[in-house]
Amino acid sequence: MSAIFDDFPVPATQVPGDFAKNGQTLSIFLEPAGIVAAAGYMKDKEYFIEDVTGLDLAEGFCVLYHFAHFEKPGRVTLRLLASRDNPVVPSIAGVYGGAQWHERETRDFYGIAFEGNPNDGPLLLADEETTPPLLKDDAKRAVLQKAWPYAAMGVNPVPAAKPAPAAKPVAAKPATPAPEVTK
Amino acid sequence: MSHCEATELTGDTYTRRFDTGPDADTLIVNMGPQHPSTHGVLRVIVELDGEYILRAEPVLGYVHRMHEKMGEVKSFTQYLPNMGRVDYLHAMAWNWAYVGAVEKLGGVEVPERAEYLRVIATELNRISSHLVWWGAYLLDLGAFTPIMYAFDDREIILDLLQIITGSRLTYCYFRFGGVTADVTPAFVSGLTEFIARFKSRLPMYTDLVTNNVILRKRCEEIGVIDVDMARRYGATGPVLRGSGVAYDTRRAEPYGIYDRFDYEIPTFPEGDAMARYMVRMREMEESVKIIEQALARMPEGEYLNAKAPKPAWKPGVGEAYFAVEGARGKIGAYVVSDGTKTPYRVKLRAPSYCNLSLFAELAQGVILADAVSIMGSLDLVIPEIDR
Repeated sequence: MSAIFDDFPVPATQVPGDFAKNGQTLSIFLEPAGIVAAAGYMKDKEYFIEDVTGLDLAEGFCVLYHFAHFEKPGRVTLRLLASRDNPVVPSIAGVYGGAQWHERETRDFYGIAFEGNPNDGPLLLADEETTPPLLKDDAKRAVLQKAWPYAAMGVNPVPAAKPAPAAKPVAAKPATPAPEVTK
Repeated sequence: MSHCEATELTGDTYTRRFDTGPDADTLIVNMGPQHPSTHGVLRVIVELDGEYILRAEPVLGYVHRMHEKMGEVKSFTQYLPNMGRVDYLHAMAWNWAYVGAVEKLGGVEVPERAEYLRVIATELNRISSHLVWWGAYLLDLGAFTPIMYAFDDREIILDLLQIITGSRLTYCYFRFGGVTADVTPAFVSGLTEFIARFKSRLPMYTDLVTNNVILRKRCEEIGVIDVDMARRYGATGPVLRGSGVAYDTRRAEPYGIYDRFDYEIPTFPEGDAMARYMVRMREMEESVKIIEQALARMPEGEYLNAKAPKPAWKPGVGEAYFAVEGARGKIGAYVVSDGTKTPYRVKLRAPSYCNLSLFAELAQGVILADAVSIMGSLDLVIPEIDR
């Protein structure tokens, strides 16, 4: 599998991973606005959706989309960052029907809204007024800001909104990421 | 009374959200959460036109336990018993998914003998899982006797696994860097005996059940899933292989020592319920083949790494996604660590959650009785879907 996608449709930072080490072949950081086009691209490349999930970070909510392929080995992860004040991400349920439930689950757990999901009701949790259970408190979040492996690799999770993808292939992976963690 | 007020008075939020639409001749029926064919507390709201399903919507969460939150409040080791309780039929594969992710994260080595023990336990558990599916599915379709045979065989497997794990159902056999216990001579002789017996049972099942015309009529050309649909919904496991795709995590993302064994990935191209049935029946044969090879080649040695992590162990900062092939499909564990002794995030990818998500699309236009056959052919384990 080629290390990065040359014709990725939206501005993104692509970081090849080490599958043997962390199960990721390629991580793609992109803006929330580009996720539908990106999902369409993955669909055209015949990737299947593994899951969609969230992560509560100091910078905001990271939403992760895991994809794998029936013929090619490896795992491609799309990552985007939604603001904590207004966590709204476009839904990819129109491209991958299976994302509908994964997005509803992520909404249940984190309170992230997926705009355009045809059925955005609660799925696993009781209806309404449930506090999203996977939210972290501020002290806990701050620790991870440094720990987030790609931040440690010097990659800004949110790419600047410029047209040139200018992929930053960080080939050399640190043996233990984030050496600056103090806690 | 207006139509709107009437729906306010009946059902719960899920029924109210399930809009009746303009056609007044249709009927909305709740299947479950205590329906016998849902095998656990799954509820499906269906809109029927006569016997035909216009729409179906599964309602989940009746056995939701928030395993992912539990992962964030327990230490890495304390979370291990949870893995026996996600999927009660193939607990070993869930053990492996989580332990594999953490081992990847912390760079823990697994001794050679432990790798073989893991394979034997997981494949044995896969057979017992398929046996329960087989008996229960036929029960759904109106055949009562097969489940008695299935449980007869399964009982021996439970006895065997009890020797090495101490449990009969909610196994917690894996440890970071190995397994909890070695096999005993009684286990090895019992397993050898079981394999010989089981090999004679499988042809009997084919003769008595698989070739039965009533079964064929309930399964053939029912619930046809094509590859594109599988891709859109992330269907894996026997559901995907019943659509002709030879995708098995044991081959696609080799883990443990699966690359050392000689076994086939059975596929059937029809995409219907019968194809999914055939895949599982063939898979039991393949699992037997793997167990035989593992038993013959297992080296002497440690079953647990001498430097295996202690309870307060911290795996270091990072993330790891580790996937294994469970009886229902691709089980994924995504673990993020911030360097403390508690995981920062544990995401569990449940295969039958993804497999069930295509049911709403698949059930459109089929007869209600066929929907029961389709649901059974997906091999659902509700606690695994709800997590």
